[in-house]
Amino acid sequence: MAYISGIGCISPQHTMDNEVFLEEAVNQQALFLQCIQPNSYKEFINPILSRRLSKIIKMGITSALISLKDAGIENPGAVITGTGLGCVEDTEKFLMTMLDNKETLLNPTNFMQSTYNTISSQIAIILKCFNYNSTYVHRGFSFESAVMDALDLMANGDADNALVGGIDELTENHFQITSLLGNCRQEAENNLELLHHPGKGTIPGEGSVFFTLTKEQQSSTYCELKGIKMHYKPANFFGVWIEIKQLLEEHNLTEEDIDLLVMGTNGNQETDIYYQQIHSSLFPNTSVASFKHLCGEYYTASAFGLLLAANILKRQTVPTVCQFKGDKPSNIRNIILYNHYAGDQHSVMLLSKC
Amino acid sequence: MEEKELIDKLRKEIIQQLNLEDMNPEDIDPDLALFGEGLGLDSIDALEIIVLLEKNYGIKIEDPKQGKTIFASIRVLANYILTHQKPQ
Repeated sequence: MAYISGIGCISPQHTMDNEVFLEEAVNQQALFLQCIQPNSYKEFINPILSRRLSKIIKMGITSALISLKDAGIENPGAVITGTGLGCVEDTEKFLMTMLDNKETLLNPTNFMQSTYNTISSQIAIILKCFNYNSTYVHRGFSFESAVMDALDLMANGDADNALVGGIDELTENHFQITSLLGNCRQEAENNLELLHHPGKGTIPGEGSVFFTLTKEQQSSTYCELKGIKMHYKPANFFGVWIEIKQLLEEHNLTEEDIDLLVMGTNGNQETDIYYQQIHSSLFPNTSVASFKHLCGEYYTASAFGLLLAANILKRQTVPTVCQFKGDKPSNIRNIILYNHYAGDQHSVMLLSKC
Repeated sequence: MEEKELIDKLRKEIIQQLNLEDMNPEDIDPDLALFGEGLGLDSIDALEIIVLLEKNYGIKIEDPKQGKTIFASIRVLANYILTHQKPQ
């Protein structure tokens, strides 16, 4: 277990300011959701360095710095990042140049920054942090793997705190390719209406969320992250059912102790069935909050779900735009965050009020 | 191409290639040192300029150590291009 003591987020919503949380939802009529960029990154990154960085690297560094500032920590015990696609914009630029120039005249910047671990590395360089640094690239388990690594690191006494992030960017090119798989809505849709119109596919998105996890509770702490479970390609919802049961038992809790479910429902009726079955079989009377209509679907979207769950526990209220099923609970002690990516990578996190 | 015309072209190309945000072509003094104390470019920028020279002017710098002399300033770079560019 660990405490979430700092958060930094750049997303398709106004989430950079930790003083307010989802008071006004951003409504986009779009095929995919893109992050709201700050007016300037100068406040966070030296312009001499910034000029060479792509959007995702700037987003990652900035959200990481906001998270550390929120937690009042200057140099974390570890920097651990999860990303499904890494710096895909730089990768595309590099590959397109290879094609256009017949494998000659390649720009070094795009090549150097096309790797998955550029974000973690740049954060460490800026912070002058020589501690543990790692990047996990496991599709829909990328962020979860980063969280598990941080929890293990702290449990083993190798770090007192860790900066953990989930980050992905979406490019027009990548959207065109992935939409061929049939996982995306074919027509531009109002994101705030997405969950009210289940159908084929969903709205993809992107985001950068960093958490500062601490071993000890502190004044900035949002909530306690008690545990995490993952299940790859369950035959049916029962595989996830067992994981949730085990997670609750490990912490001497029952279904009745869960006051809110935060679920990654994304409007894709083929895969949202898992969420419906878990809700009806395990938590039929528990209220549900959703988040993917705000950030879109992407490999590390569970990080946005964790941002939502942590803020709900700290503020003891569910943002109206996130309330999906049931009434808003009043005393929120425990939350189960359940997410899956395309029905393949399923993860469950248990969070508690401090 | 005249030296002045080439200097103006290079200033624009360098700003674009190196993403020198918030900088206008006229901000770069043609005699200002590109590296170190002057414009403050670094070794990665040098590689980018090598690619730019080959791509836009057909000039291949085989030995990167030559860059120190060739990239002394925009004016020096322009003169190098004028004397080494093969006639079209």
